[in-house]
Amino acid sequence: MKIRRKYLFYLLAFSSSIIAALISGIDVILEKYLKNPFVFGLSIFYFGLLIAVFFTIFFSISYKGKSIGERTIDPSFKKIRLLKKEELKYHILAGAGNAILTFGYFWLLILIRDPSLVLPFSQVVILYLVIIESITEKNTPTLVEIQSSVIVTLGAILGSISLSGTINLESLAIVFLIVNPGWVLQSVYQRKLKMMRINNKSNDAINIRMWNVAFACFFTIVFVIVYDLYTGTSNFVESLNAFVNHFGLLTLVGIGAFFSYVFYIRALGIGKASITQAVKSSIIIFAIPVSIALAYFGFIDPISTDPVLILIRFSGIILMLLGLISFALTLTKAYIFIKMRPGYPIEVTMQKLWDINGVDRVTAVAGDYDFIVKIRTRTLVKGYERILRKVESIEGIKQYKWQSVLKEWENI
Amino acid sequence: MISAYILIHISPGNTEKILAEIRKIDNIVKISVVAGEFDIVARVQVKSLERLLKATDKIQMIKGVNKTTTQVIEKEITL
Repeated sequence: MKIRRKYLFYLLAFSSSIIAALISGIDVILEKYLKNPFVFGLSIFYFGLLIAVFFTIFFSISYKGKSIGERTIDPSFKKIRLLKKEELKYHILAGAGNAILTFGYFWLLILIRDPSLVLPFSQVVILYLVIIESITEKNTPTLVEIQSSVIVTLGAILGSISLSGTINLESLAIVFLIVNPGWVLQSVYQRKLKMMRINNKSNDAINIRMWNVAFACFFTIVFVIVYDLYTGTSNFVESLNAFVNHFGLLTLVGIGAFFSYVFYIRALGIGKASITQAVKSSIIIFAIPVSIALAYFGFIDPISTDPVLILIRFSGIILMLLGLISFALTLTKAYIFIKMRPGYPIEVTMQKLWDINGVDRVTAVAGDYDFIVKIRTRTLVKGYERILRKVESIEGIKQYKWQSVLKEWENI
Repeated sequence: MISAYILIHISPGNTEKILAEIRKIDNIVKISVVAGEFDIVARVQVKSLERLLKATDKIQMIKGVNKTTTQVIEKEITL
């Protein structure tokens, strides 16, 4: 089945948000039974790992020459596999990011029982990603991307703001220095893993998720055991008891988290981490019906009807939607077809073309043309200034043709 | 695995019908409607040259397709 790539990206990111919003509701119910955040977090990781292994094995079952996972979830997936040597470093970093993020969240819960006033600031992670990308990514963020990211971030903060809960300098420091960097570490290295070629094919989201949760689980267990030994508590043993006592709800959370992350990782393979994260922040909108349902059944306090708070949140959601629409509508793609003069080495020209910012793919071809270059840019003016001028300056190029892409479909 | 770009010229007024037909072809992994000298750029991924020929043939059989140019990929750098 072929679908427009842009739609696929938004479909994946929004699906991930919807599932995450649903499991956040189950989290709230579970918190009623598992008051200790260490026990709660660890037991979720145990189930996360078990469910990830179970589904990865299930999706590996082959049917008419293709695995179920390849047919339904990710076309890059073949079967469950061990890690390649080159992936190990990235998995350790992504797993550590997941564990650091979880650790920061636990710390917040211990420090202030209700962190709802500081947690909206975790949305600033989008801006962290923009900064990281401007340093590390080949395609540095454009002005439109920075503007839209700021709009979405501010919208997400306002959209999820709470007037209850505690705020202090220490809790804000935990969000800005531990929770957000942990999430950045996880997102950046999951994207690097998704962009890797394994056995000449794109890396698949299912194996990435399974190994990420395995590393995160391992790091968290080590941390909790060290913490227990240091403080004399028995969080690790209690987490094993919780594993047995709350099987049903924890299984639901594990299943939800698995699919939410698999979709998120697949989206990371299409769009930049900052833009994927910006779309994922729509969880704030999808969490509204979940909160209403939880309040209706008495799991949380009734939702505030304070008109000021409603106005602030509504404004935040509008801002966020405007930012997301701006991301969706400003991307321009094009092909440049290039003919070369004889006597210029292909490898050298390919590298020169690849070094141009905005170039997504350089292909050496046999036929009428010598190279086909795929471009992604936010504005056509930038396409001329930043790309065509540089193409023109490459030695040996005889002729080039710019063909703007109007619509595009791709295999799911 | 052989990958190739097929550059397609079509007669005006048939774009939607032609696109619907091209989308049905198995080995085509990406279709771009473009503005310029060509009208559609299709990326094909096949196991052999014979299958590339079949894919090209299927495209040429679609009513409204005037001309195709196949560019076989020799090397690629991508994100």
